[in-house]
Amino acid sequence: MRRHYWLLTVLALIALGWVAIFGFLRADREQFHGDEFRRPAFDFSLTDHQNRKFSLSDHPGKVILLNFGFTNCPDVCPTTLGMLGEVLDLVGDERVMALFITVDPERDTVARLGSYIPFFHDRIVGLTGPEQSIKQVNDACGTFYSKEQEASEDDYLVIHSPAVYLIGAGGEMMLRYPKEKIHPKKMADDIKRLLL
Amino acid sequence: MTVKKILPVFLFLFLAVPLAWGEGKILVKDPWVRQNPPGTSVTAAYMVLENISGVDDELLSVDCGCSQEASLHVIEMKKGSDSMIMREVPSMAIPSGASIALSPGSHHVMLMGLSSDIKESVVLELKFRSGARISVTAPVLSPADASKRVQHHQHH
Repeated sequence: MRRHYWLLTVLALIALGWVAIFGFLRADREQFHGDEFRRPAFDFSLTDHQNRKFSLSDHPGKVILLNFGFTNCPDVCPTTLGMLGEVLDLVGDERVMALFITVDPERDTVARLGSYIPFFHDRIVGLTGPEQSIKQVNDACGTFYSKEQEASEDDYLVIHSPAVYLIGAGGEMMLRYPKEKIHPKKMADDIKRLLL
Repeated sequence: MTVKKILPVFLFLFLAVPLAWGEGKILVKDPWVRQNPPGTSVTAAYMVLENISGVDDELLSVDCGCSQEASLHVIEMKKGSDSMIMREVPSMAIPSGASIALSPGSHHVMLMGLSSDIKESVVLELKFRSGARISVTAPVLSPADASKRVQHHQHH
């Protein structure tokens, strides 16, 4: 009977060892909080909320958070923008920037973005431009947007992706944060790791 | 009288009193409104509704002196895509004993046609199927404060 206990103890220790090793390997592999979203480097050109030309390729070496939305959006977009502002503060590094690309260029003019964006953070860049260019960025992110017509001509909502996309320092798409993973502290952790 | 004889009386009182007391009772917890960004006239209000009345109830409408319109919205993922859409609903069910959270990215009260930029706090008037009317004062939160509030609730 005694020997059985010995054997059980040894087996239990071996099992624990395996769990520890695999747990360690797993943790190493899943080092980012966002979902892996690898896509090759891409570029786009739009106009920022201060009426300057903005090209992704003009910002090498920066980690960029990208989000789509529209200024008439009452709930999801301002929530995400508030969180992106917090990420920028938490990281506190000039090498990170956040972009808000409108999916409603008709109503979201440079002037409108100019009064809207700084409300959230002075380092968030609001972008607008021709429909075609905005569509191109959506394509690069594997998503789409479309108008949902309401009662009148200028009373409509825009269906769009709520996700935040992370572009690495080389301009390549790296991570995607679906709505439920948009969490400032965790996103800041990911970015700090990338900036090491 | 022995304890055994009084016990059912006590039990009855314990059960009956809260039921009678709670008739039509809904608790409105942590109400808040998102400060509208400059140039916009739309925002959202959030809160937790807890039904302690013992009977099912339903939130029918919300009124705010601050806006021309207030409607109840839910957020849904568009089928077969990663995109989201808001949908107006005529009411929100609050089953007996349940607690319904109106929170960012989920159920919310959409305030449309704000008469001016909202500051400090607004008063919300809630109407329920049971006939109950509850008036609450909701603080207006800046983006930073709103972000903290959201995360605070995510942890619970």
